[in-house]
Amino acid sequence: MKTSLISTHSVAQVMRYQLMRMQAELAEKRQEAVTGRVTDPGVKLGAGVSRTVSMDRDIERLSGLVDSNSLAANRLAATQAALNQITDNAQDLLSALTAAASGSVDTDVVRHEAVRTLEAVTGILNTSFNGEYLFAGINTDAKPIKPFTDNPPSDSKAAFDAAFQARFGFAQSDPAAASITAAEITSFLDNEIAAQFQGANWTDNWSDAADQPIVSRITLNETAETSVTANEEGFKKLLMAAVAISDLLKAPLSESARDALIQRAAEIVGEGIADMAGLQGRTGIAENRVSDATDRISSQIDLFKSFINDLEGVDPFEAATRVNELMTQIEISYTLTSRIQQLSLVRYLT
Amino acid sequence: MSLTSALSIAQSALFNTSRQTSIVSRNLSEASNPDYARRSAVLASMAPGARVAEIRRATNEVLFRQNLQAISSWQGQKMVSAGLDSLQLDVNGVDNANSAAVMLGKLQEALQLYAASPSNSTLAESAVEAARQMVRSLNQGSAAIQSFRRDTDQQIAASVDKLNGLLADFKEVNNEIISGTRAGRDVSDALDRRDALLKKIAEYVPVSTIKRADNDVMLTTTAGAVLFETVPRPVTFEPTAVFSAGKGGNSVYIDGVALKGGSGGNTTASGSIAAQLQLRDEVAPAMQRQIDEIARGLIAVFAETDPSGTQPDAAGLFTWSGGPAIPADGTLVDGLGAEISINPAMDSSQGGDPMRLRDGGANGAAYVHNGPPAAASYSELLRTYGEKLDEPMNFDPAAGLEVSASLGTYTSAAVGWLENLRQDAAYGNEAKGALSTRTATALSNATGVNVDEEMSLLLDLEHSYEASARMIRVVDEMLAALLAATG
Repeated sequence: MKTSLISTHSVAQVMRYQLMRMQAELAEKRQEAVTGRVTDPGVKLGAGVSRTVSMDRDIERLSGLVDSNSLAANRLAATQAALNQITDNAQDLLSALTAAASGSVDTDVVRHEAVRTLEAVTGILNTSFNGEYLFAGINTDAKPIKPFTDNPPSDSKAAFDAAFQARFGFAQSDPAAASITAAEITSFLDNEIAAQFQGANWTDNWSDAADQPIVSRITLNETAETSVTANEEGFKKLLMAAVAISDLLKAPLSESARDALIQRAAEIVGEGIADMAGLQGRTGIAENRVSDATDRISSQIDLFKSFINDLEGVDPFEAATRVNELMTQIEISYTLTSRIQQLSLVRYLT
Repeated sequence: MSLTSALSIAQSALFNTSRQTSIVSRNLSEASNPDYARRSAVLASMAPGARVAEIRRATNEVLFRQNLQAISSWQGQKMVSAGLDSLQLDVNGVDNANSAAVMLGKLQEALQLYAASPSNSTLAESAVEAARQMVRSLNQGSAAIQSFRRDTDQQIAASVDKLNGLLADFKEVNNEIISGTRAGRDVSDALDRRDALLKKIAEYVPVSTIKRADNDVMLTTTAGAVLFETVPRPVTFEPTAVFSAGKGGNSVYIDGVALKGGSGGNTTASGSIAAQLQLRDEVAPAMQRQIDEIARGLIAVFAETDPSGTQPDAAGLFTWSGGPAIPADGTLVDGLGAEISINPAMDSSQGGDPMRLRDGGANGAAYVHNGPPAAASYSELLRTYGEKLDEPMNFDPAAGLEVSASLGTYTSAAVGWLENLRQDAAYGNEAKGALSTRTATALSNATGVNVDEEMSLLLDLEHSYEASARMIRVVDEMLAALLAATG
C-alpha cells in the first residue's frame, strides 16, 4: 500500500513550474522597469485600451493642430502688420486732404499723395505670404487687386473714364470740366464712382479676391476666420478716395468743385480708416483665439499624456524592486533545487 | 508444525521478497514518468506462509477525472489565447501600428494638415497616401483574418486526424486490458498506457469515462456524444479550402453529433478543437464584421454630395465594388473591408487628381463644391470630412460593437473589444494553467512513485530476505543436527 504523501516526480515538477513562472515574470518586470510602461497594456486594461488608443490618436491630431495654428497665427500677424501700414498710408492721405481743404497746400501735392497711397494700398493688398496672397480670401493663388494705371489704361481706369464720359458728356481733360459744379462732382463721386467699387464692376475690374476668408480649424471642434479679404468695404473706400483724387484732380475743375471733391474724399478716407480699425480689431481677436486655442491644446496634450501614463504607466522603482525581489527568489529556488536533489535516502544507503 | 513446513514458509518468503524487490525496482525506474502509477504487491496469508496475491496499481478516480477536465479546459484556453494573440499582432492590437484605429488617426492628421493649407498639392497627395494606407490596413486586415480562419480550419482537420488515431490506439489498449483482465493477467502496464492516451484525447475533446465489466471503458464527450464504445466512433470533419467574409466553415461531428465551439475570452471551450471552432466561427468573423463596418463608415463619411441637392450622394475618396452608390446606412456589407479601395478619380497613381478631395467632383461636375474656377484655399469640404469623422453614425449591431458612435470611437472600440477578450483569456489561462498543474500534482502525489519510500521498502525487503535466509540456515542446521543424532 502506498503511504507517501508526495511523489518524487511532483516535487521536481512543482519546483520547475514555479521557477518558470518567476522567470517569465522577471522578463516582464525587467521590461517594465526599463520602459516605464506595462508590458502588455491590452491584458492589463482590457476594453479600457480603446480609451488610450483614442487618446493617443487625439494627441497626434492635437500636435498637428499646434503646427497648423502657428501657420494661422503667422498669417494673422502678417495681416495685422499690413493693416497697420495701410492705416498709416491712409492717415498720411487724410492729413494731406485736410491740409488741402484749408487751402494751405497745393492740389498737386494732394494728388501725388493720393497716387502714392493708391500704389501703396494696392501693393500691400497684393502681399504674398508663404506663396499665398494674404488678402485673396480663399482664392489664394490669384493676385487680389489689379492696379489702377493710366498707361496703358487698366480695366478700372477705362471703366472710370467711361463713367465720367457718360455722366458729363466729355472727358476729364476737357476744358468743359471747369463747368462742373460742386454738387455735381459730389454726386458723381457718391453714385458713379461708388458703383465702380461694387458688384460686378468691382470683381471684373478690380478684385480677384474671394469674399470668403480662410477658415481654419483651431481646436478639434472650433474654427476661426484667419484671414482678411481685399473685398472688405474699408479697402474699397480707401481705393475709391485715392482714385478719385488722383484722377479727378488732373481735370481742370473749378475751385469750388475741387474743394467739394477734396472734402468728400477726406470724409471717405476717414470712414475707411475707421473700417481699418475695425478690421484690425477683428484680426486681433482672431489672433487671440488662435493663441488661446494653442494654449488650450497644449494643456490638453499634457492632460492626455498624463491620463495615458496613469493607465499604462508603471512606477519604474516598483518594477525595479520587483525585479530584485524576483532575482533573489529565483536564486533561493536554485539553491533549494540543488539541495533537495541531494536530499535523498539513496545517499545514506551505502 | 514441522521443520519441513518451516522451510517451505521461509522459501515462499524468499520468493515473495524477490517478487516485491522486482516491483520496487520497476517503481524506481519509472519514478519520473508522469503516466506511471505506482505498483505494490499485496500479500495474502496462505495455509503455509504467504504469497503475492496481486499486483495493485495505485489509482485515484476522482483526481484522474479532475485532471482530465483540467487538461481539456487548459488546452482550450491556450488555443484561444494563442489565436487572440496572433489576431492582435496581425490585425488590431493596441500596439499594432497598422491597425485601422492608428491609420484613421493618420488620415485625420493628413486631412487636418491639408485643410490648413488647401493650396498645397503635396499635402493633397499625402492625404490621399494616408487614405491608401487606411485602405491597405483594412484590405490586409481582412486578408489576415480570412487566412487565419483557413489556417485554423486546417488545424481542426489535423486535430481530428490526430483524435481518430488516438481512438484507434485506445481500442487496441482497451482490448488488451479486457482480455488480460479476463485471463487474470497483470494489466497494469496497459492501464498506464490507457490513462496516458486518455490524457492525450482530453487535449482535443473533453472526455468522460464510464467503467464497465472486465476493466472495459466507454468514452463520451462531456456533452454526451459517444467517442468510444468497444470500437472508436467516427470523428468527421470536412475542411474548407477558401474562406471569405460571411462564409462559415464545417462542423466537427463526433458520432454524428456536431461539436459546439466555445465562447468568451475566458473560454467555455474544453479541448483544442472546440477552441479552434470558436476562433474560426466566432472571434475571427466578428473582427471581420468590425473591419467591414469601419470600411462602410469610411465610404459613408467621405461620400460626395451634390451642392444643389439633386443628385444622390456618391462614393468619394473611398469606393467599393458597388460604387458609386453608398452602402445602406447601419447595415453590414460582408467583405467590404477587402473590397474598399481609393477612388481612381482621386488617386494620382491611377491617373486621378488628389485635388478633387478639396474641390469635390470625383463623380462628375455636379459634385464640384469649389468653383469653377477653383479657389486655391477652399477648405470647407476638407473640414466637413474631418467633422463627419467625429460625428456619430449608425453601425450594424451584428458587428458586436456600439450601434451609434463616431468612426474614430468605433475603430478604437474594435481594439478594445479584442483586448478585452485577451484580458479575459490571460486571466483564464493563468487560472486554468494553475488548475491543470495542481490536479496533475495531486494525481502524481496520489499515484506516483516516491523514491525515498521505495528505498525504505527496499531496506525492509533486505531485512526480510536476510531473516528468511537465516531461517533456512537454522532449519538446515537443525535438520543436520537431527540427522547427525540419528546417524
